[in-house]
Amino acid sequence: MSAASEARAHPPLRTVRAGGVSFRLNLRTLGLVGLAAAALFALAAWSLTLGSFPIPLEGVLRAVLGRGSEDHEFIVRTLRLPRLLSALMVGAALAMSGAIFQGLVRNPLVSPDIIGINQGATLVAVFWIVTGQGRTTLAPVAFAGAVAAALAVYLLSWRGGVAPNRLVLVGIGLNAALAAGTTYLLVRFPIEQVGAAVAWSAGSVYASTWSDVTTLGAALAILTPAAMVLMWHLRILQFGDDTATSLGLPVEATRLTLVLVGCGFSAIAVGLAGPIGFVALMVPHVARMLAGAMTASVLVLTALLGAIMLLASDVVGQYFLPVTLPVGVITAVVGAPYFLFLLYRSNVRL
Amino acid sequence: MTATLPAPASEPPPDTLHALDDLDVLSRLSARGLTLAYDGPEIVHDLSVDLPDGQITTIIGPNGCGKSTLLRALGRLLRPRRGAALLDGEAVHRQPTKEVARRLGLLPQGAAAPDAITVEDLVRRGRYPHQAMFSPPTDRDRIAIDRAITLARVDDLRDRSVDELSGGQRQRAWIAMTLAQETPILLLDEPTTYLDIAHQQEVLDLVQRLNRNEGKTVAMVLHDVNEAARVSDHVVAMRDGRIVAQGTPAEVVRPEILARVFGIATEVVAHPRTGAPICVPLGAPALPEGNPGAEAASMLPRPCRLCAVDATLAYDRCVVAERLSVEVPDGAITAIVGPNACGKSTLLRALARLLKPSAGGSFLDGEPLHRARRRALAQCLGLLPQAPVAPVDVTVADLVAGGRTPHQRWYRQWSAEDERAVEAALATTHTADLRHRTTDALSGGQRQRAFLGMALARQTPIMLLDEPTTFLDIAHQVEVLDLVRALNRDEGRTVVMVLHDLSQACRYADHLVVMHQGRVVATGSPREVVTPALVRDVFGVEAAVVTDARTGRPLVLPYSLEDLRGVGRG
Amino acid sequence: MVASAIPVTTDASRWRLARATVLLLLVGALAVTTLLSLRIGALGLSTSDTVAALFQYDPDSYEQTVVRSLRLPRTLIGLGAGAALAVSGAVMQAATRNPLAGPSILGVSSGASFAVVSAIYFLGISTPSGYVWFAFVGAAAASLLVYGIASAGRGGATPVKLALSGVIVSALLASWSTALLLLDQETLDRARFWSAGSLAGRPLDIFWTVSPFLVLGLAGALLMSRQLNVMSMGEDTAKALGLHTGRVRLVSALLVVMMTGAAVAAAGPIGFVGLAVPHIVRVVSGPDYRWVLAYCLVVGPTLLLGADIMGRLVVRPAELQVGIITAFCGAPFLIVIARRRRVAGL
Repeated sequence: MSAASEARAHPPLRTVRAGGVSFRLNLRTLGLVGLAAAALFALAAWSLTLGSFPIPLEGVLRAVLGRGSEDHEFIVRTLRLPRLLSALMVGAALAMSGAIFQGLVRNPLVSPDIIGINQGATLVAVFWIVTGQGRTTLAPVAFAGAVAAALAVYLLSWRGGVAPNRLVLVGIGLNAALAAGTTYLLVRFPIEQVGAAVAWSAGSVYASTWSDVTTLGAALAILTPAAMVLMWHLRILQFGDDTATSLGLPVEATRLTLVLVGCGFSAIAVGLAGPIGFVALMVPHVARMLAGAMTASVLVLTALLGAIMLLASDVVGQYFLPVTLPVGVITAVVGAPYFLFLLYRSNVRL
Repeated sequence: MTATLPAPASEPPPDTLHALDDLDVLSRLSARGLTLAYDGPEIVHDLSVDLPDGQITTIIGPNGCGKSTLLRALGRLLRPRRGAALLDGEAVHRQPTKEVARRLGLLPQGAAAPDAITVEDLVRRGRYPHQAMFSPPTDRDRIAIDRAITLARVDDLRDRSVDELSGGQRQRAWIAMTLAQETPILLLDEPTTYLDIAHQQEVLDLVQRLNRNEGKTVAMVLHDVNEAARVSDHVVAMRDGRIVAQGTPAEVVRPEILARVFGIATEVVAHPRTGAPICVPLGAPALPEGNPGAEAASMLPRPCRLCAVDATLAYDRCVVAERLSVEVPDGAITAIVGPNACGKSTLLRALARLLKPSAGGSFLDGEPLHRARRRALAQCLGLLPQAPVAPVDVTVADLVAGGRTPHQRWYRQWSAEDERAVEAALATTHTADLRHRTTDALSGGQRQRAFLGMALARQTPIMLLDEPTTFLDIAHQVEVLDLVRALNRDEGRTVVMVLHDLSQACRYADHLVVMHQGRVVATGSPREVVTPALVRDVFGVEAAVVTDARTGRPLVLPYSLEDLRGVGRG
Repeated sequence: MVASAIPVTTDASRWRLARATVLLLLVGALAVTTLLSLRIGALGLSTSDTVAALFQYDPDSYEQTVVRSLRLPRTLIGLGAGAALAVSGAVMQAATRNPLAGPSILGVSSGASFAVVSAIYFLGISTPSGYVWFAFVGAAAASLLVYGIASAGRGGATPVKLALSGVIVSALLASWSTALLLLDQETLDRARFWSAGSLAGRPLDIFWTVSPFLVLGLAGALLMSRQLNVMSMGEDTAKALGLHTGRVRLVSALLVVMMTGAAVAAAGPIGFVGLAVPHIVRVVSGPDYRWVLAYCLVVGPTLLLGADIMGRLVVRPAELQVGIITAFCGAPFLIVIARRRRVAGL
């Protein structure tokens, strides 16, 4: 701890300038990003070897590169790789979404899961499942539910501007209403469909396909750079509305953009994997504890840590328990003790 | 920056510090060997003090010297690490809490009432320590409540809701609540903070009446040395958790002691009406005598870049000011002064483009602010808001760098010029050695300096500062204002600041804008504008206005009728 | 917003009279609601049948049997649970000085749910009477855990720490419950009806089982009202007035656990009554907790029974669980509060 805070107290900064472009880079954060990336890669490679048909690491690598045996290639590329990549990207998206919302509201308890976005997706998806609609349309429908909920929260909290605290309260209210709707569906319909719906709403990456991976990849490719640029504006926004306005920042427009990007991350993840809790709440805290205030590079670290957490939870739920459990159940079990520990140490910065 | 006198000698001269045994006073409340701390390091070290019965004792000292902490320990809110606070010879924290509450009333700083509670209900809750577990209110309770309300002169506010009262009324209601406890001893923690001068006097008058007419022993923490000297019988001056000096105001409010306590050079003059000692911070470098340049300059027609013309200012539909016209002289320091809620901060917000006038407009170089490009405007107009906020994990260096935003793009985050400007701002505000501290680890003064650094790093020709000295003790106030003056004199920046302290405004500003109830009632140089009549009309207090021989500027020395009654006594 | 509803300039005694009158009217409304709750349902009954069932019970009358065996337990549980939830919400809001606090902040519902789900999964228990003790113990254990974690470490159980640990323990327990529900469809089938929160289908002995806790908790809370008044003035002021703030907070938590534990055990998790009712009554009662608690005691059951009656009517002949109705109606209310109040912090 002392070494970490020491290093944070005197950040090794390097300035990069070329023409009109200049950046200041924190070498420690970059080092952490490198470490996290390496850890993620190792974890990913190892997870591909696991399963009812174990494949040695070498075989996995060959199969990924398209030079393995036929059955290896089938197992790795068709069965395991989509699930792996989905887990990574869902984790990254959720973590970044949490970072954006926590920065926006400056409240450690806020994450997209408690302001109704997840519940919006859940309500619609549960309806879709219990009424026996097609599974293929499930993801887009859930995505639409998440977007609709996000929109409703934003509009309901608009009063000549969106005060972040109001956004949260309205979100909690909407969340409860949507949850009541879901409960109604769960008690109203026969148990067979309800079982499937509950399984979906636990959140899992079990059935991921390559088309899911493409969708996620495309969304992340657009949203991640946007989020990294927005971190620059978010930093100014955190100095308060007055200062930000006086510094020349269009406050409401920036806030709307941030909410849109945050909701985008969250909606795409929930749409494809179901409502997975805790990642968005917890991972940004970890990243900030390791690397200090949220900047673009810390956001990258957040994304990597989110990917690691989700992948690790998925591996645990899939292979290391007597029964197979969806990843959404595991994340809270992994995350909650950590959070309670934080609370016990009471250095949570509110 | 500040001409700091040599650090306080470890051994104070014997004439200023009474040895405790020599004090021939009766004292029911005292401290012996008190060492206090919250979770971190010790704040008050091995401190012993007696609060003389039947007198008003005031504790003064710089921010963070432990004065409020001491008061909290005396009032049983904080358990001492070592030593004890003694009430009637017995440690307070060993006595039952209700028993203590019957002998000692304490009004904490910034006490907050529940929504919509009436004054009478608030006062009634002060009876709690006298009520048995399940007994109904007795006649004694009713009498005590009525009496507390009468004493605090809140009779006419009885059924009003506390949240609709003015600051001074609210503070009196809270004191009435404490009075309902019927304790011989009252402890008040900064009862006048956030109040303007008239309301401060309202509260301090009440304290004086309670002491004189009811014989209450009062101990309070005050921010303002002159107020402390004016109202108290006994002054305790603290620094770094220790007592530097104590005695009568005349014994304590002396330049050499104030230098040791606050680390600034002051001059002490006697109040022309009451004779109470008044300390006048000299600041440094002291203005050259006469200082013809600045003083005369405001009389010349100056070019004006920033102005408000016929502006009507309103929040939602509540109109704060109508048809307001103000010109900001270029290259000068303009101070906007006036009582609370007179619209001075609102005017500054309109000049900073934070508030769009509903009629009329504010203009920069003849162009309406609301049509200016955000970025261009941000490079020209700097602002330090009244209560700036920052995320807790941001370092001072990052905070100051934030001020460079108008000159940056997301792809041009750290140009060589940014680096130079930030370094210069850190150096000017003396925050260079705090650069890696996070904002939650700063004292009030350091924090304010860091935010000033942020405004500086923007390198705007015009700077708007909203109450830059609130939350600061006298030394930091002088430091910040000296810095502002240096920026104006050395770099020719135009400064507009809202100040609530009229004396400070007179000392530092070239141009005063005096506001009252949403109107500008006077503008001009301090010497032209400030008269006893103006102070009475605008601020609602009596004051003597004398000319400071050193600077040739007016000094405003408020007093109240209660003081005059006390003059004969002392 | 609250201030506007209070006559500012009338003298105090008239104000007190007005408050008492409104309280009496509300008691009347509660009596009417209770009667309606006994009458309305899949089988509509006349008032005379209902009254007869209560006072001159004729076991041979089908209508009267319905009242005695179905409607009466349901109504009694609604009365008890409504009062308990509303009063404990007010107590929590006073003790934590947080307008968003409610019984759920202590993790009561999720604790009870987890215990009930475990009881179904591991022990195969399947009747509401069987759940009662599990729900109660689960609620108590979860809130003790929340309170323990919040008060460990520096500074004791501050309101923020209480909220944080409540959210997290709830999430953890909820995920364990989900795990069990996913493992076994039969468990899911039974638990889903319980966890929607309902007054229907509970035998009368459930009410008798939980009533000692209800009575104790409610009496304790009403006796605490003066302490809560002082508490709501802030930690420092309360201490300066001679209040043991730590002790009051602990006792409040214990009372809340007793009341909500009993309510959840009898009716399942019912949201929003605890959060919303204190806010509603404060508009009329003012900030004095002696009145707030008295009002909650009357308004809480009225609203809960009202919601239950509505649940019987909207999807006739089927029924909607009362927990769903309260959340549906409470959520817009929270949104309105959020939009109207100046919300300083969470």
